[in-house]
Amino acid sequence: MNGVKLSRGDTVVWLLAATLLIGLYTVFWQADGHGAEAVVLVNGKRWARLDLFHNQDLKVPGPLGHSRIQVRDGQVRFVDSPCPHKLCVHTGWLSQGGEVAICLPNKVSLQILGNDPRFDAINF
Amino acid sequence: MIKTLGHISLVFVLVFLTACDRKPVAYHEQLLVFGTVVDVKLWGVKEAQGRQAVARLADDFAYMHNAWHAWHPGPLGRVNQLLASGTSFTAPPSILPLIQRGTVLSLRSGGLFNPAIGKLTALWGFASDDPPKGPPPSAEAIRAILDQRPDMEDIRLDGIKMQSDNPALKLDFGAFAKGYAVDRAIDVLRELGIDNAVVNAGGDLRAIGRHGDRPWRVGIRHPREAGILASVEVEGDESVFTSGDYERYFDWQGTRYDHIIDPRSGYPAQGLSSVTVFARRADLADAAATALFVAGPDEKDWLPVARAMGITGAMLVDDEGQVQLTPGIRKRIYFEPSGTNGQTNVEIHISAAL
Repeated sequence: MNGVKLSRGDTVVWLLAATLLIGLYTVFWQADGHGAEAVVLVNGKRWARLDLFHNQDLKVPGPLGHSRIQVRDGQVRFVDSPCPHKLCVHTGWLSQGGEVAICLPNKVSLQILGNDPRFDAINF
Repeated sequence: MIKTLGHISLVFVLVFLTACDRKPVAYHEQLLVFGTVVDVKLWGVKEAQGRQAVARLADDFAYMHNAWHAWHPGPLGRVNQLLASGTSFTAPPSILPLIQRGTVLSLRSGGLFNPAIGKLTALWGFASDDPPKGPPPSAEAIRAILDQRPDMEDIRLDGIKMQSDNPALKLDFGAFAKGYAVDRAIDVLRELGIDNAVVNAGGDLRAIGRHGDRPWRVGIRHPREAGILASVEVEGDESVFTSGDYERYFDWQGTRYDHIIDPRSGYPAQGLSSVTVFARRADLADAAATALFVAGPDEKDWLPVARAMGITGAMLVDDEGQVQLTPGIRKRIYFEPSGTNGQTNVEIHISAAL
């Protein structure tokens, strides 16, 4: 490095480049399809948007009563719902962008969001 | 010269403005209709166009749900009453095309897909809003319906007049109406000038076009565990339908009785946990998924049915979790890693070509 001295301008350019790199890294590297947010719909209308890394328990009111939804460490699931089949509860944990769980009788649905979800549709 | 430059730049501005205007956007909406969740994804539409299209689909689905419901009062219920009476009557326009198409598909499946066995489905308790709890019906009650051999050929169509001479015949389009409805939805979208779309009706879908610069990605749910078993890319025009024993069933004294009734035995089909069918038309994929599920896990049983029905691919998962694939699907499907080593631990058998 002898003879090379960074001017103030050079330093600014380097700092900008580093900031840009970190910015690009966080934006693109994390887009691995693992959704960080989920949306809760009641009767097709948005009821809440959930940060999957903010652990919480929700009671979502539907026509039959409350569906209970749990958020834990990047995953989300139905814990209970006032429906006969409990298909929503059996669906289990969701974490991938595009994954969906639905309580049809209580008209509550849960979907993982993602900029570019791994799946456009889930077949079951 | 300056004037020319001005014109050129004006052209450029207009081109760029048009480009902005045509910027492809994804439109996504969920509908709670047809007794299920219909998930509609459109690509390359403006929001207003998308909203309008989905509103139209919602109306159509609601109409079809009402007309074709197997146990709520409505057009299909009245048709079943008239069929049971043995008199000749005028077929309602909402039901006639379903009967015609259902008859064709039933014949092609060798009767394994049989929409005429509504009495058996009801006897098992699956024609109800509440899930059956058991016990299973008596062998005599099943035999009584089976001995009368209800099938689609019992319906005599003469123009728009129809009549049945089999009192045991009762129509239940549960294994096929969803596919038929998805086909109608895709027709409507195309009429509205939408060429890139996925209509996913409660896990059964037809996709046309692409998602921008890539195909549509479809995940197939694991029949026994939470999460995705495999994924496949779909573009152009293709339907993917799955029938599984995990959708509707009841357990009685250690045995699982699922909702897919084998028309030959009168009992729920055994041996498979899920069947995924690939075909262009959704109504065919829907009927074939049921027919293959009934045919069972032995390749010499299901492959002739798959060939006769004219489907393009299939994946069958049996009760032990073993997977059978048709060769065309093997090339396209990707199995999700499972377990801690990130390896796919699915046992796969490739069938003979379709």
